[in-house]
Amino acid sequence: MFDVAGIAVEIGQALLSLALAPALVGFIRWLKARMQNRRGAPIWQPYAELRKLFRKDMVVSRQASWVFHLAPFVIFGSTIVVSLLVPVLVTPLPFNAVADLFAVVYLLLLGTAFLALAGLDTGSAFGGMGSSREMTIAAISEPAIALAILSLALAAGSTNLGEIAARTIARPSSALSPGHVMAFVALFIVMLAETGRLPVDNPATHLELTMIHEAMILEYSGPYLALVEWASWLKLFVFAMLAGNLFVPWGLATSLAPAALAVAFATTLVKLVVIAAGVAVLETRVAKLRLFRVPELLAVSFVLGLLAVASSFSLR
Amino acid sequence: MNPTALEPLFWAMCGGFAIAASGALAPAPRVARAVTAIGSVAGAAAGLWLACLVLAGAGTVSIAMPSVLAAAGGLSFHLDRLGAVFLAVIGGVTIPVAIYGFGYTGGYGRRYSMRWMSLQTGAFLLSMSLVVSAANVLTFLLAWELMAVASWLLVITEHDRPDAVRGGLWYLAMTHMGLLALLAAFFLLGGDQAGAWPFDALRDGAARLSPGTRNAIFLLALLGFGSKAGLVPVHVWLPRAHPAAPSHVSALMSAVMVKLGIYGLLRVALDLLGGGPAWWGVLLVAAGAVTALTGVLYALVDDDLKRLLAYSTVENVGLIVLGTGAGFLFLSLAQPTAAALAFAAALLHVVNHAAFKGVLFLGAGAVLHATGERDINRLGGLVKRTPWTAATFLVGALSIAALPPFNGFVSEWLLFQSFLPGVASSRASVAVLLTLGVGALALTGGLAAATFVKAFGISFLAMPRSPEAANAHEAGWAMRAGMVMLALACPALAILTVPVLSAIGGALGGVGGLPASSTTFSLGVILETPHGLARMSPVAIMAVLAAAGTGVWLAMRLVSRGSRRIDDTWGCGRIGQTSRMEYTSTAFAEPLRRIFGELYRPTDDLTVTEQPGSPYHIQAISYRTELHPWFERGIYDPLVRATQAAASRVRALQSGSVNAYLAYIVLVLVVLLGMVIGF
Amino acid sequence: MQGVFSQVAVMGSSGMLLCAMIVLWRRGVAAYISAFMWQSVVLGALTAAVGYFGNDPQLYVVAVLLFGIKAVAIPKLLRRVSQRFTAGRESAPYVNTATSLVVSGLLVLLAYAAARPLEAVADAPTRAGMPLAMGLLFISLFIIISRKLAITQVIGFLMLENAIALLAVLATYGVPLIVELGVFLDALMGFLVMQIFLYDIHGTFSTTDVDVLERLKH
Repeated sequence: MFDVAGIAVEIGQALLSLALAPALVGFIRWLKARMQNRRGAPIWQPYAELRKLFRKDMVVSRQASWVFHLAPFVIFGSTIVVSLLVPVLVTPLPFNAVADLFAVVYLLLLGTAFLALAGLDTGSAFGGMGSSREMTIAAISEPAIALAILSLALAAGSTNLGEIAARTIARPSSALSPGHVMAFVALFIVMLAETGRLPVDNPATHLELTMIHEAMILEYSGPYLALVEWASWLKLFVFAMLAGNLFVPWGLATSLAPAALAVAFATTLVKLVVIAAGVAVLETRVAKLRLFRVPELLAVSFVLGLLAVASSFSLR
Repeated sequence: MNPTALEPLFWAMCGGFAIAASGALAPAPRVARAVTAIGSVAGAAAGLWLACLVLAGAGTVSIAMPSVLAAAGGLSFHLDRLGAVFLAVIGGVTIPVAIYGFGYTGGYGRRYSMRWMSLQTGAFLLSMSLVVSAANVLTFLLAWELMAVASWLLVITEHDRPDAVRGGLWYLAMTHMGLLALLAAFFLLGGDQAGAWPFDALRDGAARLSPGTRNAIFLLALLGFGSKAGLVPVHVWLPRAHPAAPSHVSALMSAVMVKLGIYGLLRVALDLLGGGPAWWGVLLVAAGAVTALTGVLYALVDDDLKRLLAYSTVENVGLIVLGTGAGFLFLSLAQPTAAALAFAAALLHVVNHAAFKGVLFLGAGAVLHATGERDINRLGGLVKRTPWTAATFLVGALSIAALPPFNGFVSEWLLFQSFLPGVASSRASVAVLLTLGVGALALTGGLAAATFVKAFGISFLAMPRSPEAANAHEAGWAMRAGMVMLALACPALAILTVPVLSAIGGALGGVGGLPASSTTFSLGVILETPHGLARMSPVAIMAVLAAAGTGVWLAMRLVSRGSRRIDDTWGCGRIGQTSRMEYTSTAFAEPLRRIFGELYRPTDDLTVTEQPGSPYHIQAISYRTELHPWFERGIYDPLVRATQAAASRVRALQSGSVNAYLAYIVLVLVVLLGMVIGF
Repeated sequence: MQGVFSQVAVMGSSGMLLCAMIVLWRRGVAAYISAFMWQSVVLGALTAAVGYFGNDPQLYVVAVLLFGIKAVAIPKLLRRVSQRFTAGRESAPYVNTATSLVVSGLLVLLAYAAARPLEAVADAPTRAGMPLAMGLLFISLFIIISRKLAITQVIGFLMLENAIALLAVLATYGVPLIVELGVFLDALMGFLVMQIFLYDIHGTFSTTDVDVLERLKH
């Protein structure tokens, strides 16, 4: 695990994820625009945004403390750590010995908690409201995530990411089993909730009645804002990789041969496009839910996870 | 190392606590406080060292004192590895708490007697250590009662406050109700054996008891030890007594004393009875889940910082009992490896919780000391005025919210992993129960994260919401030292998980049918579960997280060229930012309160006063909301009413007439004589 | 082949179950009618599939009847009734949405436990779908109990019929044609009687909300 080649591969994967995440978000925005009969910004617009933000001055609130300054690094750092553990091109990863699915979920929760603290730190009502709503949604989506993970772990016998991918590759027929499909839908709903997409949260709004994630990062500007935005795009990328590569792991390279890597890159791009298209279509089709309807949506996700776990009972 | 070399450490521990108690003879309050602190630290250090030696396999300590209380059978002590785990917790938490207590009680000397407090503290610590090393029922019950009385006296230290006295009364009543249950349980266990009922004899005799008796013993022990630990619905004393006690005492009670309830349950049900039928495990899992959810739901909506922490203790005890229940369940299904993992996860959470709950209560005490406020809605901005308190409280809050890379995450992860073999079991009822258990565990974890973001965020961040908070001063060196020690223990326990877990595994080895395991203190980095392929490394996560964060910071330094400007928080163009615009604790928890409204059943009272003559112009709006645990009303109010009714009936006997009293005496005499003659 | 048959059976049963859960999740009566329609479509398709894999041409006839009656005719009638008589939304059911969903999950677990002896005895490849059919049964009963609008209760009753039909198809590859026709007639008669009652109730009281109608007994 600690050999130089392994670390190089991991760093390469992190850099690749960082590079692809803005493209994913840019593609979703472009697709939504096209479906709404607009031209839309080009797909590489998020890169331009990052470049602009890194060069800008920063305004820091007088009321903020070191927590405000620490938070972007914790959020970005924890998301990078997750991107090191989730299979993107290769499975099993060099760090697979510590790639546990519960660890991934709780690392993302660490980022969410620090974002909520940063929202509270500036003393604005927007930030407080965003933090309150974000922690509410995070708390209620935990059982849904846990049951989705449980159904995956039951099939694979472990919560280790490499194991789960390996078992699904070994048994292709299990990919279409109802339990698998239901767990995928459950995870998809949770992805929408955790990454702040419609119908849970509108990523393009700044009205106080409708924003959750945007409210918490309202006070961030310049490089800090760039870090926080990039981290949230990376979170969406990581979830898309979890959904794609754990449920449909074919195409993942099992060695570092260039041919296998090229095939893996192509299939990963296809999976990203499909998931991005799904998200874009959904966001165009549905309206944002009222905050107190979101627990109902997450209850649907929870029950789907429960059904996914139950469907494995009768196979014994 | 031969066992007799451990005995002097045991006596040193007792001696240290006795020195702490001898502060009662001190000439001045300051001397009393110093003696208490020094004695406690010395005794705790000896106890901690002793416990570590016992866990490392150096043997056990056995001391018999048959001459003391010979008529009742004599005292006897035996510290085995299971007790050593809890003794290590006692020692490890007492050292920082005692140092902190020296600083915290600085203002007490004028109003309350420090000499009394020395005596009570020394007695409390001594009795806790004796509970875990008791080897017969007499010693156990004596130490247990001494612990109850000493802690009650400590709770009512601030006796001029009515809520402290009321909390103490609840505590006293419930701990003695628990004691009655324990007495009944031990009587059934001891049966017709002679003498003081040493635990070894009870263990051998337990196999001959009928299943009905064993079930009764289990239920009574659950009631008695559960009320000490804080299981719902006998937890009601916890949110009343823990906040009222002085903060370092609250830390000791929450971090250590409630765990002795867990110790008692494990000792009686696992060690002496050797496990039981499956429904024991099912009952414990259900009780643990209900307790955990109740605790966290009430912690979420609480605005009193210390009561929030008390409810959070209830939640964590629920998690520990959840793991314990899974262990009993696996044991009854003849899956000893899975059972060992579940028990180990529960005990790891005992150790971890002691560390972070300790630092949280000490932090709350520092806040109380600095501002005089416990209401979160009147705090704020403390991160700049009390930076040490804020930093240590943050570490504690992140740990208890089970966020990596701290120790709370490790024990939560292990609890999840210990449930997996159950969900994969072939028995449908077990699989369903443990699936729901996983769901409850996840929900509790999420709600705990929300609770502690609220507790830290609103209390410490942004601007002060009251003049008391604006004038807060940082704590003194002693208080800071205690908090920093416990705060450092949290990541340290995460790094040292593998040695700690192997020590716990050794402590559980051979107890009640669990497989014996080795006690290698390997300094391994990856935590691996025995049954499956689950692996996780807190050290690796910590290292990579630190590396990633630092790397990003360096990169940002290189890339960004802009400057930094300080200005007010943006407020839609209005001028100025006041603390009235901040979110409050009630507001933060409001969405979750609405979502779980049917579980809370709050009473809301909205009064709108209109201007005279015009119903469309509002003069004033008053909103009042109250949230009382409704199940307490349903269970305890009828109980209290019935007791009072019975008591007033018995009162009729107190007629005031001397003749009547003499007649009672003669009547009893006649009845006793009749009984003697009859036999 | 048997593997595909089994997968198809379980997929179909899951689909029908999810349609029932839509009634517990959504609030609009139009969504309920659509959910019932899709459930009947899936049932018809599943019956046809069982007829294909089990080599029983009679089931094709049953499937066509199912499509015609339950997927076309009854939903049309339901839409007409709902447009004339009801409020269009189930605004305050006896059990709120999130709790209903969790209860439905628990009912499915109960169905799995209850269907274990059944599964052990059966040897058809479709036996894996039987717990889901029983779960659908329980959930339909729960819909009838926990909802207030009379039309929702009618839809719950119709879904109950679907569940029984599904159980019959999975367990014994359908029942003899004559029995099937009899059951259809029975369902149709029941539905028509309910329609008449709905007309009458609404005409007399101007509402079909069960909550309001409860006050009649006082």
